[in-house]
Amino acid sequence: MAADIAHTPDEARRDIARGARTIDYTPNAFNHQPARYYLLWLMLPAIIVLAGISLYPFFWLIYMSLHEVQLAPGKSDIWVGVDNFLRLFSDKKFASGWLTLFKYSALCLSIEVGLGVLVAVILNNSRLEKVLVTIFLMPMMMAPMVAGFLYMFLYNGTFGWYFWLLRSVGVLEGGTILGDRGWAMFAVVATDVWQWTPLIALITLAGLKRVPQDQLEAHMVDGAGEIRNFISVTLPNLYPFLLIAILLRFMDNFRFIDTILIMTGGGPANATKILPTYLFDVSFKFFELGRGAAIAFTLLLLTILLGLVLTKVFEDPARKLKTGGGG
Amino acid sequence: MASREIVRYRSPTRGAVQAVTVIFLIVFLIWTVLPLLIMLVSSFKELLDAFQLPAVGDWGDVGVMFDFKPTGRHYVELFTEKHFATYLRNSLIASFGSAAVSVSLGAMAAYAISRAQFRGKRDLLFWIISTRMAPVVAVMVPLYVIFRSSGLVGTLPGLILAYTTFNLPFAIWILKGFFDNVPYAIEEAAQCDGCNRWQAFRLILPLVAPGIGAFIVLCVLFGWNDFLFASIIGSGGAKTLPVATAELVQPVKIQWGSIMAAGVVTTVPMMFLGLLIRRYLVAGLTMGAVRE
Repeated sequence: MAADIAHTPDEARRDIARGARTIDYTPNAFNHQPARYYLLWLMLPAIIVLAGISLYPFFWLIYMSLHEVQLAPGKSDIWVGVDNFLRLFSDKKFASGWLTLFKYSALCLSIEVGLGVLVAVILNNSRLEKVLVTIFLMPMMMAPMVAGFLYMFLYNGTFGWYFWLLRSVGVLEGGTILGDRGWAMFAVVATDVWQWTPLIALITLAGLKRVPQDQLEAHMVDGAGEIRNFISVTLPNLYPFLLIAILLRFMDNFRFIDTILIMTGGGPANATKILPTYLFDVSFKFFELGRGAAIAFTLLLLTILLGLVLTKVFEDPARKLKTGGGG
Repeated sequence: MASREIVRYRSPTRGAVQAVTVIFLIVFLIWTVLPLLIMLVSSFKELLDAFQLPAVGDWGDVGVMFDFKPTGRHYVELFTEKHFATYLRNSLIASFGSAAVSVSLGAMAAYAISRAQFRGKRDLLFWIISTRMAPVVAVMVPLYVIFRSSGLVGTLPGLILAYTTFNLPFAIWILKGFFDNVPYAIEEAAQCDGCNRWQAFRLILPLVAPGIGAFIVLCVLFGWNDFLFASIIGSGGAKTLPVATAELVQPVKIQWGSIMAAGVVTTVPMMFLGLLIRRYLVAGLTMGAVRE
């Protein structure tokens, strides 16, 4: 019977002429192409969209940083060369913006990591772990700008509960919280700490679950106490997790400025004017978009640097973080 | 499997440490919940009640916080006089639109990147993650100029595109991690049974469906909570909830009751969504680096 099967188009036509029934069947068209073209087609839409909203604007950013951008219709941009960048060197607010950014991040990160690890260690394997973790999650879901308003309300000098609390405890002499140079910084840091300490605690908890129990036991058999055990077994196992937590939080510290923008706008007297806030003022308050582009460019360089570190961290230990350990 | 039982002896020090940890937990719990509680309570207070505060140092009078007649006035006002229904709709369209675009394009790309081996794959991934990490303000500077010249400022499509700048790379990066965990053997088997590649891709989608669902929710959350893009690129025609909330601050007086009510309206749906995808939350917020 096999001989009756048509092998060539001519034979097929002959069979059809003889009255053979045809069935509509295309042998898997996709499968005949090399897989890479198929995968390329799948990738392409996302890559094109992403290029359109990230690469194209990036080239625009470079163009803008070399021009004095005119927003009024009909006017064309004025070429100024690297003037926008040169001006940054003499710009005191630019330098202090970087300093304030690092100060803000250092404060946020040290408090968040300290508190977060403490909370995680206490919660780990406790009876209330599930319930408490769920409660601690709630601030993270809040829009940062809402958190900003909420804390502004709490800090208010006439009816704010935190203001009252600080006065009652006796740390705050008088004046207002957000109007005082020293207090304002701590006030915005406290908001960030309130929202994001739980995230660090969650990451640490995930890490604690993966601390190999046999290592802990072996160390105990060797006569180590609990504190010793924590320092020389648990903590080293936590490092990759803490590193990721710190990198991500640092990144978010300059990605989002909603809270600062709402609460202080960078004031008082630039005490909380971290660089992105300054960039916001330059670009969208004074609309000096050329200068803004130059500042944005420096900020993006930091991003790229962080990106390099993050891809490294994510790649190798990522496997370890997900599967490794005794968990 | 090593035993988790560790023998602990009672001692005065241990008792003291335990007491301190319990106190610390209680303080931390209050610190976390109190602001949320105050927001909720204040949104139901008349203006005068909201401004009631005990005298400095008068600890016994803290109960004044709950001494008020609840009113739903602020909520009613938001939706009748202040057009919050429109802003709610805008928020929904912008965040869900961007999430839909990001996750559908992102899932295809993530699958392809996960399966393909090609030169420059690492560079591609690096580009994707650094796009995600770029500071919102820095991205907005060129985007604003581009959107202005193409008439996208103040429109919902413009806002959806703006949100896609952070949602699309997020979706690609995190879904790639998900597809990496699905063995290729499943697709091979499907293709042996006569599926073409597209059908094989559709076949493994149910395996990652819970993850995809969770990351749609996360994308919605990121878009919904955004303030910067919405305040500049959405200003005018596409006002979202956070921007409308910020506009309740008026030069003469800040309408705290309405702001707190708007805060509750903005926050509560996201808290529910957050609890819904609790399992994927840590993975999502750490770009997939840490899983519980």
